[in-house]
Amino acid sequence: MSAVATVTNLTKRYRGVTALDGVSFALTENRIHGLLGRNGAGKTTLMQILTAQNFATSGEVSVFGEHPYENEQVLSRISFIKESQTYPSSLRVTHVLRAARLVYPNWDEEYAQRLVDVFQLPGGRNVRKLSRGMLSALGIVVGLASRAPLTFFDEPYLGLDAVARQLFYDHLLADYTEHPRTIVLSTHLIDEVSDLIEHVLLIDQGRLLLDIEAEALRGQVVTVSGPVAAVDEFTRTGTELHRASLGGTARATVRGDFGPAAHDRARSLGLGLEPSSLQDIVVRLTTSNNGHAAGAGSATANKEAAR
Amino acid sequence: MNRALTVARLQFVVWRAVIGWPWGILALSFLINLALFSAMQENEDFEPTTGGLMSIYIVMLIASISAILQDFPFALGLGVSRRSFYLGNVLQFTVQALVYAAVLYLLAGVEEATDGWGANLRFFGLPFLVVENPVLRFLGFAIPFLLLGFIGIAIALVAKRWGANGLLTLSAVVLAGIGGLAVLATWRGWWSAIGDWFADQPGWALLVGWPALVTLVLAAVSYLVIRRATP
Amino acid sequence: MEDGRPIFLQIAELLENSILDGTLAEESQVPSTNELAAFHRINPATAAKGVNKLVDDGTLYKKRGIGMFVSPGARAKLRSRRRDEFARQYVRPLLTEARKLGIEPAELKKMIDTWEEGR
Repeated sequence: MSAVATVTNLTKRYRGVTALDGVSFALTENRIHGLLGRNGAGKTTLMQILTAQNFATSGEVSVFGEHPYENEQVLSRISFIKESQTYPSSLRVTHVLRAARLVYPNWDEEYAQRLVDVFQLPGGRNVRKLSRGMLSALGIVVGLASRAPLTFFDEPYLGLDAVARQLFYDHLLADYTEHPRTIVLSTHLIDEVSDLIEHVLLIDQGRLLLDIEAEALRGQVVTVSGPVAAVDEFTRTGTELHRASLGGTARATVRGDFGPAAHDRARSLGLGLEPSSLQDIVVRLTTSNNGHAAGAGSATANKEAAR
Repeated sequence: MNRALTVARLQFVVWRAVIGWPWGILALSFLINLALFSAMQENEDFEPTTGGLMSIYIVMLIASISAILQDFPFALGLGVSRRSFYLGNVLQFTVQALVYAAVLYLLAGVEEATDGWGANLRFFGLPFLVVENPVLRFLGFAIPFLLLGFIGIAIALVAKRWGANGLLTLSAVVLAGIGGLAVLATWRGWWSAIGDWFADQPGWALLVGWPALVTLVLAAVSYLVIRRATP
Repeated sequence: MEDGRPIFLQIAELLENSILDGTLAEESQVPSTNELAAFHRINPATAAKGVNKLVDDGTLYKKRGIGMFVSPGARAKLRSRRRDEFARQYVRPLLTEARKLGIEPAELKKMIDTWEEGR
């Protein structure tokens, strides 16, 4: 498995606010990566730097083995669909698609038209007159039909209802299966995509908390409940992320290497054991981490909210 | 370079707007003037210049501002590099300026041959461009297009990179600079020398030479600015 | 897919269940990983991992260029393995709980017989 992009010790500061803080990871070829994290965690900034739309304060970025900045070889193989994308006011939907066809070497016009029908996009309408959901759908059409070897979707579903979002996930999966490529899906609707993503990158307050295969993560975090002493005994085998107690009973969320044996152990200790979903894991990890850098995090969030 | 050509082509995705606006407005302005001047033809000595030609140059300025404010974020969103975007736009502006200038040149010729469209109207002829050299005459139409195009790009880039504060600072610096020079000139008594200098300049230098120089400087500075601009 | 457990294990179990209940007969072709991915709305790599687990333990075998098939004898093998798991998963906790309540093994057997008759 070769790396399509690598990021080494990447830091980005905006006037005293640290949006990214020493982030390092690699994107593996032909995988769907979930870039997870709260609003303002630094996900968009990270993708902007990877696509050379923004500049790093320090650290190294390499995409397809080269630096993406002003690198046409690299940029023409990237598709970056972001929620905040703006369009020139004179363009209609068909114009945007025509522009995309001119620019993306792998563009599939027939597929684009099919997607336009699926999402019921009005081709003749001016982009400035599209609803939020239609604008998102337009981005999705461009992102899928561009078939770029490296495709970023940054919260691509704003204003889309549950049905349209499912359509997006289904088409993404189907097209990815037929035309494997490296995909980064940035989202906070984790439950909806947890079965699609193969690799998890979790960012919180500009720091990378998780860089792990989704399947390895599943079952790593469990919640046990029962008598305090038994809970204490069980949590000794892992890292406790969260605890609530009531009288003599406690409930603790623990991260560790929990196989079937751990289930047996919990049972023999008289504890109830519940595996955590990806969403639970992310919530637990990003809230338990809040203590030490809350200042920087909230400042980042404010900045992003102000945009 | 291929990519720059693609960017130039991107502009013509909406070719109706790109070509329609400037010429539509110019045609409208021309027709209004023609109607007005046909009505008041009595006075034979009166040979007015309308200034209506300015409209097409103003459209160029607006187009170049919107190229940076609207097209730039869109093009970068499609994975175009800043260099390609810039070159593509320069290419498009230059071709446009040359073609538009050629059309204006021809229309000015027709205007002369028909005694101002039979109504003594000087719409396309430039009043201060009294050169017989056809090349300089042509450039007299073309260079102002490019100058306004790059002024628009420069202004929009300042707005893009440094926001409203950047624009205000720029205006303040320019005003202070001009004001300061004026004060300096008055204090040192340079005004007559400056007047002489302008009087000594041939017409083509004022309409072609110096604007071309300013255009080149703006083009170079704009390129440096756009290289660090974010969409 | 259900939360908290590796999806590839769940895929493998679903296929095993189909083999156990006869939906997937021995020597019959198994859905491709892409079909499994689309049907369960999961990542194809995960589906492949589930299928490969069954290939590794001999439940399925690969015919080059055609696809995956259920191995002969797979059903019997699965059944015996599931029986062992059944004991571990259900009988052992049953005995633990019974001991906690002071139910002797003989009494427990009688309870099972009574329940079986009452069905």
